[in-house]
Amino acid sequence: MKDFVLRRVVALLLPFIQMFGIYVIMHGHTSPGGAFAGGMVVGLGVIGFSTVFGIEQGKTKMPEHVTTITESYGTLWYILMGLVGIFKGLPFLANKLAVDVGVPGELTSGGLIGLIGVGVGIRVASTMVTLFFTMMEEEA
Amino acid sequence: MTAVIKTHLPVFVVAAPLFVSFLLSPMARRFGWVQSLVVGVQGLGLLLAVYLAGMILKSSGVPIIYSMGGWPAPWGIELWTGSLGAFFLLVVAGVTLPISLYAVNNLSDEVGDATRSTRFFVLYLLLAGVLAGMALTNDLFNIFVLVEVATISCCGLVSARRGPNAAKAAFNYLILATLGSGLILGGIGLVYMITGNLNMGFAGIALNGVWQDYPHVVWMAMSFFLVGFGVKAALFPLHVWLPDAHSTAPTPASAILSGLAVKGYIICLVKILFGVFEVHLLDVFRLDQILVLLGMLAILAGSILALAQGELKRRLAFSTVAQVGYIVLGFGLMNIKGVAGTLFYLASHAVIKSTLFLAAGALISATGKTHVKDFAGVGRKMPITMGVFSIASLGLVGIPLFSGFVGKWYLLLGSLEVGNLTAAGVIGIGSVLCAIYLFPIIRTAYFEPAPEDDWQDPGVPQRLALVMLGIAVIGLGVLPGPLLQLAQKAAADLLIIP
Repeated sequence: MKDFVLRRVVALLLPFIQMFGIYVIMHGHTSPGGAFAGGMVVGLGVIGFSTVFGIEQGKTKMPEHVTTITESYGTLWYILMGLVGIFKGLPFLANKLAVDVGVPGELTSGGLIGLIGVGVGIRVASTMVTLFFTMMEEEA
Repeated sequence: MTAVIKTHLPVFVVAAPLFVSFLLSPMARRFGWVQSLVVGVQGLGLLLAVYLAGMILKSSGVPIIYSMGGWPAPWGIELWTGSLGAFFLLVVAGVTLPISLYAVNNLSDEVGDATRSTRFFVLYLLLAGVLAGMALTNDLFNIFVLVEVATISCCGLVSARRGPNAAKAAFNYLILATLGSGLILGGIGLVYMITGNLNMGFAGIALNGVWQDYPHVVWMAMSFFLVGFGVKAALFPLHVWLPDAHSTAPTPASAILSGLAVKGYIICLVKILFGVFEVHLLDVFRLDQILVLLGMLAILAGSILALAQGELKRRLAFSTVAQVGYIVLGFGLMNIKGVAGTLFYLASHAVIKSTLFLAAGALISATGKTHVKDFAGVGRKMPITMGVFSIASLGLVGIPLFSGFVGKWYLLLGSLEVGNLTAAGVIGIGSVLCAIYLFPIIRTAYFEPAPEDDWQDPGVPQRLALVMLGIAVIGLGVLPGPLLQLAQKAAADLLIIP
């Protein structure tokens, strides 16, 4: 789209959209939302960018080989975090027993859940983007 | 180290295939590694499953309970490795290994280039991990999640072959399976509403106390589960998606879908019916008779429909509908012999049907023909493929010394024990029909002259896979011992007989 105002506004808003998405991902255990919702927002930022600046431009920001890696390894991260418990001699996915979860209400109080959330967020964001690109390719 | 692996065995069995499947897709360029990883993790899975089953057998059925994250039962999620779980896990691991071996270097014709084949393996391992999860889970909501993941990977596997037929079959399956998922979720919701528990053991205890206050809710939940899992397991009137989906999928996918995926849903249904509602309630609500009736219908209808099919893979797909009938009928008998027989039949059908589909796929890709009458003389040209196909056919019909016989024998004994002569008759008629739709293929292959064609057995990994499965069919028939013992323990656990 060639519209100057639209391009400017999206370019200005994009960092804030992404920042908000990351905020929601990181605060999944202390406030409403979480990794899925936050990942969605991050993905929607990229989708908004691609609709305004064109699919080609969007694909240079998130090429297919990158989304393949983030999608797979985002989920792999979940299993790896589960293994932390086993390395500490505790059951799979142990959290409170395995690591220091800190003071309730603080950012770090989720223990491994915060870290798992980062993986899930990355995965959801790249899945959203892949879905969008796939659908647009079929349209064209 | 071994002690660590031993304590966390149930988790590793489920997580290892999932772990590898998430590792694969960025590795598409090194397709050799992808294949060796898949076969390797399946081999490891089989070892772990055998060990786990041995542990259960040795402790004579004392379950291994694993609390995820260290949270105990009503709050946390449990992996419950009882005799049923160990049994089904063994079946899953034993059948997925040969199927993945068959897929090695053999997907390019049916699926496509390395990227597409890698995606196929991702879905395949996802399904294998989820089936292992279905075997071990003891949580109602976990069952729902596993069922959903299995459905999505099945749809992906069906549509892995390019072309409009595959897309149409996958879409049909997706719509019907989603309906099934909705019903299952509804059933879980109803159970949770009146029991307040998602853990199956605790839900069962709570239900025992309150079911008299909510008879209609219990009735509705049961029917939701029966219809929901019935759609997914292709129980006779709800089987309409299966023939298209299983006959258009690529060969290894047909094998795992027909051999294992359908049974995963049946195991989930059985876990819920016998674990939450328990025998007493099934008896009160006459569900045993409904299961027997549905099973008999499925056996007759599936066999007759299979007779009418000219295409080899469609015939095998309809035969699966009939065999699901046997399995459901056996669970309806509600005695040790019937249930143990049906579990053994489930295992033997998993082996036999994957053998038949793999052999059929090899025949079709070598000859380029699909109709059952086109395979004249194949027996001479492709001795291993057709030999294994014949062994599996004999097994499916239930000839003594082949694995199907043991299961059918116990099913017969079970139905005679409850005095249900009709069921026994239907089991016999089903076997005869099965012979009628399978033996002509063998006759054409061996006793009719071959056209001058250069047909050959498939490559080494494929032959190895076929031979492994063929040996399993005979082995389970000649020495059913340990597996049958495990099945009997599982039956006793399900029926709550000490």
